[in-house]
Amino acid sequence: MDNIIEVSDVTFEYTDNDNVSTVLKNLSLSVERGSFTVILGHNGSGKSTLAKLMSGLLKPDSGTVTVDGITTADEQNEIEVHRRVGMVFQNPDNQIVATIVEEDVAFGPENLGLPPNVIRERVDSALKTVDMYDYRLHAPHKLSGGQKQRVAIAGIIAMEPECIVFDEPTSMLDPKGRREVMDTIYRLNKEKNITIVLITHYMEEVEKADRVVVMDSGEILLDGKPSDVFSQVEKIKEIGLDVPQTTELLYLLKQNGYELPDGVIATGDCVSELLALLRRENCGNTEC
Amino acid sequence: MATLSVENLTYVYGEKSPFQKTAIEDVTFSAKSGEIIGVIGHTGSGKSTLVQHFNGLLKANSGKVLLDGADIWENPKEIRKIRFKIGMVFQYPEYQLFEETVYKDIAFGPTNMGLSAEDINKRVLDTAQMLGITAEMLEKSPFDLSGGEKRRVAIAGVMAMQPEIIVFDEPTAGLDPAGRDIVLEKIKEYRDRTGALVFIVSHSMEDMARVADKLLVMNSGHLSMFDTVKKVFSNPQKLKKIGLNVPQVTKVFSALKEKGIPVDENVFTVNDAVSYLLSFLKGGKNND
Repeated sequence: MDNIIEVSDVTFEYTDNDNVSTVLKNLSLSVERGSFTVILGHNGSGKSTLAKLMSGLLKPDSGTVTVDGITTADEQNEIEVHRRVGMVFQNPDNQIVATIVEEDVAFGPENLGLPPNVIRERVDSALKTVDMYDYRLHAPHKLSGGQKQRVAIAGIIAMEPECIVFDEPTSMLDPKGRREVMDTIYRLNKEKNITIVLITHYMEEVEKADRVVVMDSGEILLDGKPSDVFSQVEKIKEIGLDVPQTTELLYLLKQNGYELPDGVIATGDCVSELLALLRRENCGNTEC
Repeated sequence: MATLSVENLTYVYGEKSPFQKTAIEDVTFSAKSGEIIGVIGHTGSGKSTLVQHFNGLLKANSGKVLLDGADIWENPKEIRKIRFKIGMVFQYPEYQLFEETVYKDIAFGPTNMGLSAEDINKRVLDTAQMLGITAEMLEKSPFDLSGGEKRRVAIAGVMAMQPEIIVFDEPTAGLDPAGRDIVLEKIKEYRDRTGALVFIVSHSMEDMARVADKLLVMNSGHLSMFDTVKKVFSNPQKLKKIGLNVPQVTKVFSALKEKGIPVDENVFTVNDAVSYLLSFLKGGKNND
């Protein structure tokens, strides 16, 4: 398998005065190039720390993290690591540095020391990718949350990374903004073949992922295809997480003795399963 | 018993400046004790601006806010008293914690009300107990708590003033599912115990389906709908047009109906969906 990120046997601790709290314990995880991985976990489960380790913002206390074969712990590699992995955070307001959208997007490529014509090309193409080209001369603070977040994403794309790690990018957005940002993320994965690692609390954002990793107390609790992970409704609920409403609906019906598959996520799939069930039970035509 | 009435409220930001913007226009509605009202709308629709008028944090350019029939601005010097009756829990309220201990932080509001030491103590302990804040936590610094705990402490600080009306601006933003469930439950419990009128500004239709009695829908500064949850969610097209949504399980039911299954579309929570489908399926079997 061709892995872009390899986390092997990583332990990470935060030290506050004399208190040492272990956030990650001997954790190993590989992310395949071009894949879409979602990381779930309750607050304090270590998922944001893992994200920062993957993008080289934090270095492991023990174990290694490599990006494209490059060790993040070595300071000399910093630029090469950041060139390959970009990160987008929760609050769009904290990620915008310039007063004009296109200048903000140009910040990254400028720091890579690229020639002006290349920067121009990259900025334009990045803004087009996130559908914000028409706003290139606007002031970022006048944009909506979803638009700002897309500008932040454009700033990362302009560096042409191979992988982007998103840490709850939609948690401060309204439903429309959330949709815009999620559509953009899917597009980056499918059309630009950028590897995506997405940390979220919204279970419905898991739907189109290739893989779901569930974290609990600094360890990986579940890891697999979305449908496999969400088959384990009890285990997920036990650690204070949720499953999508569609998954829960079919799960509860199954508990009542109806034959239904586990781990159904998409609305359309849930509807088809219910239609099939109603047909089987001869219930759903008008005489019912 | 309290009644809050808003009459023809209009508020303009930056009036007579180049940045003049009408945030809310001609909003009229009335709500009474015991109701939980969800305030929904896209970012910039005027939700937060509207609720900040309820206790006089903003003063309208025209129109009135009436508490039990009396204009809250009738005597501007008395506006502070209104703020003890109408409490406000802002977005990310944990950023406003500041005292040395959790106890002192919760006591801050009641102390400002000029209550006796005995009353203050009773209110702090009662509120802490209701919100699951342990005696041990009360002695800790609020900054040593987890995100979800901090949120509850901040909410306790407002609830300890025992306001007749309480407004929450996105109380579950950034919390994991378990933290979210606790906060919503506690808000409901406060309403049940005190009979208060509660407003919750939210982006989560799923949350609103679970706790709200009525929904107040804002769109571009105007009151678009003010009705029961059932009536509002039975209009998915209109909601979608203004950047909102219905819960996922409601979408499933709409799709079933489109496929010719005679189900009731007015299902907004997973539990309702399960009991509805179970009785629907049993009905089918009885007919066999």
